[in-house]
Order: sequence, then C-alpha cells, then structure tokens
Amino acid sequence: MYGKKASELVKEFVSCEHGQLTSFNNDLFAQVIEECNGHLLHLQPLMRKIQEHENKLKDNRRSEDETAISEDESRKSEADTIFIQTAMKSDQFGALIHHLSLVRNKRCLMAYVYNRAEVIKSLGWVIDCVLPEEIEEKLSSSEKEYFKNHAATLQSYMSELDLDLTVDMIPPKDPYIKVRVLDDIGEVVLSDQVATLARNAMLFLRRTDGEQYISQGLMEELTG
Amino acid sequence: MEPGAGEGSSTDDYESLISTTDAELLKRAWRNEKAAPEILKFEAALVQRSRQQIQLMEETVEEFTRNGVDPLTVSLYQMDLDRTLFLLRSYLRTRLQKIEKYVLHIQKTAELWNRLSKQEQKFAIRCVGDLTQHLEQSVLTKLPDQYQSHLKQSGASENDDMVPEPKLDTYIICRSKKFLGAFQLDDSGEEPVNIEADDLYALPYKSIKPLVESGQIDLV
Repeated sequence: MYGKKASELVKEFVSCEHGQLTSFNNDLFAQVIEECNGHLLHLQPLMRKIQEHENKLKDNRRSEDETAISEDESRKSEADTIFIQTAMKSDQFGALIHHLSLVRNKRCLMAYVYNRAEVIKSLGWVIDCVLPEEIEEKLSSSEKEYFKNHAATLQSYMSELDLDLTVDMIPPKDPYIKVRVLDDIGEVVLSDQVATLARNAMLFLRRTDGEQYISQGLMEELTG
Repeated sequence: MEPGAGEGSSTDDYESLISTTDAELLKRAWRNEKAAPEILKFEAALVQRSRQQIQLMEETVEEFTRNGVDPLTVSLYQMDLDRTLFLLRSYLRTRLQKIEKYVLHIQKTAELWNRLSKQEQKFAIRCVGDLTQHLEQSVLTKLPDQYQSHLKQSGASENDDMVPEPKLDTYIICRSKKFLGAFQLDDSGEEPVNIEADDLYALPYKSIKPLVESGQIDLV
C-alpha cells in the first residue's frame, strides 16, 4: 500500500519516549525516498498522456468548428470526444493518486526529520557542543552537523549578549546548594572560594558555580 | 504604617509602586511570554534596565562582602540578585525556544519578525540557515524537482502550507487588574464575557490577544 512505510517511520518516532531519540532509521528512510521516486516515474507518463489527450480534444474541437460536417460524422466525433475524456479522467485520477502519495510521503519524511531536529535542538540547551557517544551514534551525519551548527548559533547569541542562558534552568530557592562530588575534579576556582573537589566530597557552594558541574554529571545536588 | 484615615491610600500607593518596579514588570513580561503560544514583543528597554540593575546589585554584593557586612544581609541581596537573574535568563530563553520552534513562520510574518530584538533576529536567521540546510541534505534533495521546497508541499501549492505555526486558539489562563467590562470573544455570536478585576479566566488566546498586547490583561 502506498504511504505505509512513511507512516511507519513517523510512528517509530512517536512511539519513543518524549525528548528521546531512536537511531536514525536509514533503511526505512531510503525505502520511502525510493517510493517517492517510484511515484514520480508513474506520474510523469501519466502527465504526458493527459497532455496528449488535451491536445487531441483541442484538435477535435477545432476541426468541428472549421468544417461543416454531416450528422453521422459529428456523432462519431462526439463519441470520440467522450472516449478521450473518460481516458483522460482515469489518467488524471491516477496522476492525482501518485501526486498525493508523493506529497504524503514527503510530509512524513519531513515530519520525521523535523521532529528529530527539535529534539536535537533541545539537546543544545543541556549539553555544550560535544554530544555523548550514546546519543551521537543514533544520529545521521546531517543531524550531527545540524547539532553542531545549532549549538554554535546558540553560543554566538549568548556571547553577543554576554549572558549564559544554559545555567539557572530551575528557579533558585537558595543561593547556596549542597552537593556531592561524583568524580575527582581537582582544584577549581569558584566565584567565592578556591576548592579542591575530590570524589565523594560534600560541599556547600553557590548554585551558579555548581550547576555547570551538575549538568556535566560531575556533581549531584543533595536535597532534603 | 500610619494609623487612621491615611492607611487605605498608602497601601494603594505601595501596591501601585510595587507593581511598577522593574522586577515586577520583568516578572510580568516573563509570565506573559511563558504562557502565550506566540512570541510577544521584545521588552528592550526593560531588559536593558534590568541588566543595569543586576550589574549594580552585583557590585553592591561584592562591596558588602569586601567590607564585611553581616553575611545574612549579603545572602539576602545575593538571593534577590539570583532571582532577578533567573527571571531574565528564563525570559530570554523562553523567547529563543519559541524562535527555534516557529522560526520559519516568524521569518515570513513581518509583524512577528519586528517583535524580535536585533540579536534574536540574527539568531533566527542562522537558525533558518541551519534548519534548511539540514532538511535539504536529509530529505529535499532526494525528492523530485517539484517537491523540493521546505515551505510548500509541492510546486502545485499556492501558499506555504508546510510551515509550523503556533496554535493561537489554545486556552490560556489570564487575569486582569482592572474591570474591563463585557468583552466579545469572537464573531460566533456567543455571549460576551464580563472581565472583572482580579478574577481568573480561561479563554482562547486568539480572542484576548489585543488585550495582552496592550497590557490590559496578564497571563498566568
């Protein structure tokens, strides 16, 4: 059935959890593209045929106008016209089916790529520039490039504004938070102190200092 | 507070003063932006003022710490600073996310385009570039000639019929500070809604759009 593969592609995207990605389905994607080109192959001869029919109809009409013809002949040409019209109609509908299937496939393909791109965009807010491997292997090469470009776009906006928008994702309750360090980070300069961050150390520090480490998975916030 | 007759008016004064501070205005702009389905006008002057205030506050906090002012006072200032910073960041962030989402629609609608700040326009242009390049590489160049536009479904469509747009008829919760009287929602002939001061209403965004734009009603 036309359009089935494309809908599978979209369903696959929908079925995975919101904000998560499955591997880019190259195989199915290529099959849908192939189907699209198949539609075009059907479409083109049909369009040509329709054109021919139209020309023929025009010729008929012209000849009717030009020469006064006997009743017998005119009936014959009338039947001829009806015959051509029916043939044209069936071709037109055929062409329409192929056209609509193609458009539908295109919409599905675009939806698949576009919605994945949205997820990739949202990743740009939580990860700086470098994708973790387990996500990267799920993307197509164009998607990887898109992520890089988009992250750069975001960065350039923030540097122009001189304001980092990726911190402060949740409204602050307290300027200081309690965190546990999950990895040996070593000595770092925080905004109000110099601290040595050793594994499993518990610290009380400024939220803005801690957030970048938390988003990189190097610290966790202790609540309660 | 002064006892007796002056009390009523002084609380009024206090409230009107509070509701026009930049912090409050920023909060309002932020709330509206968060709740509205489409992008609203960029509050350029307000953002600039807020940034100046933030800088001032940062300096104050620094000075306090240097001069050994009571840590509690410092931390209160710091908290205020952090909150304002959060509001500002979240405001800008919400706008960027809307731009990311509806960039194609915003770009071709002059009215929306003019609502962006200079930097946001730059951001949007780059966004469009990145997105179209990605879509072209992945899908469009592999399709037949007539079907390669990223705005139209095919060469046969007259309008751009493939551009994601915000849903303007979603319901939003809103509240007015003043009594606005009977308000006609749309042309469907339904009864007008009486908008009272400080009452909450759930209305379709599309119908109260002009009120939001003129600042008569706040989104919650």
